[in-house]
Amino acid sequence: MAVIGNKKYSKQIEHHFSKYPDKRSAVMPLLYIAQEEYGWVNDDGIQEVAELCELDPTHVKSIAGFYTMYSEKSKGKYWLQVCTDLSCALRGADEFHKDLKAYLEVEEGGTTDDDLFTVEHVMCLAACDNAPMLQCNFHYMENLDMEKMKAWVEEKRAELQKELDA
Amino acid sequence: MNIIKGFMTTFKHVLEEPVTLQYPEQVKDFEKRYKGRHHLRRYDNGLEKCIGCSLCAAACPADAIWVEAAENSDEERYSPGERYAKTYEINMLRCIFCGYCEDACPTQAIQLGHEHQLSFTDRRDAIYIKDMLIDAPADGQEATPRQVEAGVYTQSIPNMEDPS
Amino acid sequence: MVTPVKEDTELVTINIDGKDYQVPKGGNLVDMAKWVAGNDIPVFCYHPKMDPVGMCRMCLIELGGVARDRATGDIQYNDDGTPQIRWFPKLQTACTQTVNDGMYIKTNTEQVKEGRESVIEFLLTSHPLDCPICDKGGECPLQNLTMAHGNGVSRMYFDDKMHLNKHYPLGDLIYLDRERCIQCARCIRFQDEIVGDDVLAFHERGRRLQIITNSDPGFDTYFSGNTTDICPVGALTTGDFRFGARPWELTEVPSISPWDAAGENISLSTRLDRDFGGKAMIKRVMPRQNEYVNEIWISDKTRFGHHFTRSDNRLSKIQIRKGSNFSESTWDSTFKAVAKTLKEANGSVAAIAGGSATNEDLYELAQLVTGLGGDKLGAWSPTHTGADLVAQVGLPEGSNLGELGAGDAILVIASDLEEEVPMWRLRLKTAQDRGAYLVVANGRNTRLEELATEDPNIKGRVVDGAAIRYEAGSAAAVMANLKKSNKDIAKKLADANHLVIVAGAEGLTLEGHRALVQSAANFLIDSGHAGKVNSGLLVPLPGANGMGLHYMGFSPETTQDIAANPPKVLIVLNAEILDDDPTAKTWLSQVDTVITLGYFMDAIARESKFVLPVQTFAERDGSFTNGERRVQRFYTAQGPMGDAIPAWKAVGNIAQAADLGRAKLSAAAVMVAIAKNVAAFEGITYKVLARTERQFPDVGGDDKYYGGNAYQNTGGIGKQIALSGTAKSEKVTVPDALKAGKGEIVLLPTTRLYDRSHMFIPTVMVRSRVSLPFVHLNPKDAKALKLADGDYAEVNYDGGSVRVRAVVSDDVSVGAAVFPRKLTEKATPLVPTVGTITKVTEPAQIEG
Repeated sequence: MAVIGNKKYSKQIEHHFSKYPDKRSAVMPLLYIAQEEYGWVNDDGIQEVAELCELDPTHVKSIAGFYTMYSEKSKGKYWLQVCTDLSCALRGADEFHKDLKAYLEVEEGGTTDDDLFTVEHVMCLAACDNAPMLQCNFHYMENLDMEKMKAWVEEKRAELQKELDA
Repeated sequence: MNIIKGFMTTFKHVLEEPVTLQYPEQVKDFEKRYKGRHHLRRYDNGLEKCIGCSLCAAACPADAIWVEAAENSDEERYSPGERYAKTYEINMLRCIFCGYCEDACPTQAIQLGHEHQLSFTDRRDAIYIKDMLIDAPADGQEATPRQVEAGVYTQSIPNMEDPS
Repeated sequence: MVTPVKEDTELVTINIDGKDYQVPKGGNLVDMAKWVAGNDIPVFCYHPKMDPVGMCRMCLIELGGVARDRATGDIQYNDDGTPQIRWFPKLQTACTQTVNDGMYIKTNTEQVKEGRESVIEFLLTSHPLDCPICDKGGECPLQNLTMAHGNGVSRMYFDDKMHLNKHYPLGDLIYLDRERCIQCARCIRFQDEIVGDDVLAFHERGRRLQIITNSDPGFDTYFSGNTTDICPVGALTTGDFRFGARPWELTEVPSISPWDAAGENISLSTRLDRDFGGKAMIKRVMPRQNEYVNEIWISDKTRFGHHFTRSDNRLSKIQIRKGSNFSESTWDSTFKAVAKTLKEANGSVAAIAGGSATNEDLYELAQLVTGLGGDKLGAWSPTHTGADLVAQVGLPEGSNLGELGAGDAILVIASDLEEEVPMWRLRLKTAQDRGAYLVVANGRNTRLEELATEDPNIKGRVVDGAAIRYEAGSAAAVMANLKKSNKDIAKKLADANHLVIVAGAEGLTLEGHRALVQSAANFLIDSGHAGKVNSGLLVPLPGANGMGLHYMGFSPETTQDIAANPPKVLIVLNAEILDDDPTAKTWLSQVDTVITLGYFMDAIARESKFVLPVQTFAERDGSFTNGERRVQRFYTAQGPMGDAIPAWKAVGNIAQAADLGRAKLSAAAVMVAIAKNVAAFEGITYKVLARTERQFPDVGGDDKYYGGNAYQNTGGIGKQIALSGTAKSEKVTVPDALKAGKGEIVLLPTTRLYDRSHMFIPTVMVRSRVSLPFVHLNPKDAKALKLADGDYAEVNYDGGSVRVRAVVSDDVSVGAAVFPRKLTEKATPLVPTVGTITKVTEPAQIEG
């Protein structure tokens, strides 16, 4: 119970509450904390945020559903968001997106069987100059091609294998 | 002269074939669109087409149709979708065989067939209930209600085609 | 929110389609166009009872105003002397406009038509069009408006439609069809604004937008059914009516809720039914507009609780005791036998009647008892009193709780209105939203207290309210000393323009309740509110006809008298004495003969010599007098059950057999006699009660945007009885509160809306929402009794004992255990009493 209300986040939560006159105003930053803790906004997270903000859980879920930066589905360890807007597409981002999905054998928004990678396309990330690019867990990876990507993917897979062995 | 002219007509008709049929030994062929008594049809898979929407009853100018609906479930399914006709009755004494019910039906469940020999010795016999109206399931097919896989028959009304 | 239209509202001139109209300033344009010009501006999301949001864009119109010179503010004129109109370049939503002087609108131009066509086409892009199986089909605003304003063809692909869950339960009672929803948010806003319980919300966005509930329990309020009425499509349906009939096949019969003192106006939608022997059967219960009583809302108990009228357990035959068995009989011989028994009593005859008996029944019963020489007429149940004071200082004629607002005050004391009279709780809470000052005083936490004092996070809701939490059982003392102990609150109440006091009987004995009601009356008289329109006293008397009991001469004090001095023969009408009161069997055993007229073979019926089946509100004509003293009539809706006849007829025929005059032939004839003989009912006839008037907002009838025909009031808005007598502020002696001895505890019976009474238990679909029997303790008391939350406890009291679950929280005060009535099959205390509670390991007697 009360995973995000525990010591690990209490300072952050205090900080967010102190910014607003009303507890409910802090619902969005707190949802980010829940997402960070669980990897996605799950029912437990919603319940806890609702309690912290003194809101109805229905209301919190509604907010989580409206904004696209909250994910309501469980994701892999690496959340790969490929920008496929026009200027990126001109630099081959849509091809890259397609190839990446084919290489990882996932559908749009899907997660690989080993729960490592989730791929989806997003709107502009303001890094057209270095396209094709993607955002991995909110960090940019730029000037990509499939060769680089394959190497990175295998590296991460090897890491996982190592962990499993150990 | 006139009398001969008159008899001419008579004699001419003596030689012609008679129009009268020796009903019921002889029965005239019906036009394809002849409207006889009603049938409730089934889909090829054996589910009932009727969804109990009562539009036939609303369209009926003689107030001859009585429908009561109930809810389907996957364990006990009569028709696709959520609704089926629990009670379906037509009073053949009231029916004027206008075919409005057929026009009103959104699933083409009710159709007027060619059966026309309707006579009763009791008024109550003139009320055809659902079991009398509905087609028997095709050979080897399971009757309704039946248990079906969940989530397959979700739409009551068959998909409409793109009119363009 | 309802557009305020009062007599003193300033009028402004607006021009609709080239014609000038005088309308009240500040009114909503959609409402006003409809009200004064009969111009139905089509809407989906707008509802006159709620704030406009302008989401659906259906109400687009051309809007303009008189052009004024920017510098001088002078009106600019055309060459021909007409004022210049400055039109908005694009269409505007009418529902978000309040009328202003010099407003010009056009509702029938090509541009407007095109706008409406496009909105309809857009809304239908993903609508399943499964009207043939939809419960709303035939009274559906979307259907109606598509026929009226739609284009007829769509440019969209049919196979591009979303296919979603068609059977999504939002709670036990309401189902959501996700395909049909057009995202108007009326249901969400109803829960937010009207009920104050925001358990519905939107999820996702754009084409994937859906209604969800993530609360636990889900969509579970006492008003949830109303969302299905205001839903402009068939997205929300009730589990009760699902596929019950097509709307055009239903016959709407005006009726009155048989449950509580609010007297909600309802329409019983009936249809012949094969399973009911081909008789007319209630298929659903819908609200009927009466702005004085229930506006256009009803509680779920009223909506879903009609099943008892057709219950298999209904008494259908006359039962006459022969030894220890009952045998059936015919009416004629029964009338004679009952009359003989009554005459042999030599005047030692009394009657006790319950709150579901109608005015007609009660009048005939009173005539019979007094005709036989008896004079004791008892009202059941003897928990609430003060009807005589309501008749003197209640809300005067012409009052309307819906008019309370800023500057007004409301005091609710010793009552859990949410459970007792949900419609009053809804109307008082909305009055607070309009600015009224709401004070809730109780010995424990109630839902209304939460709403009155906490801001339930509803946008910008400023709450003006207060809570007084007193020691259990001391309500009368609190009210009597309000000016001393709660100075600020008392001053605010006394200074309010209008003051309504609701005085319940929770935690009080009958004497205690009388003291409370008298103190409340004193407060109203002293503050000068007594007799003022929209000010007065309300008592949540049990049953639909609590005030009728008073006017026909029945009183709860007499019931106590009957119990103290039992008569030879007792007539019981619609009062489940033995099921309600565990102590009744001691005095009932001294009564020689009991004659029961009721709906069920309940405990008192089983002890009776004669058991006569009578008809419920659904099968007969009659009238109830509600808590605001409004006499309202209801009409025959459902086919009869067995041999049951109306109680007035049974009683009248018994009187005839006892040579006390001829029996009346109709309920209307009884009402004529009442009007002649009961002063308060002077001038009231069925014709008067059937009068209707045009009500604002206009929601019924042939308009196209609220759908259905059940809102329309064709049965009459009733007639409020004028205040009578001149009540004086009297000195009140507050009886001592109950004191528990060592090892004992005070048991405080409370009322639950959903209970296990004979009348409510046949409503199977709500059964899971009837709470398990429980006793609610303060942690301090629980500790002393070694009880934890969820433990099983045996409650012992005078006349019996039951095993129930213990609930422990500090919502209740120390020294008293809240012990709701009618949750068990056994009788539990009716009035506060002293008992004991012990921990047991065996489970409660009723599970689920």
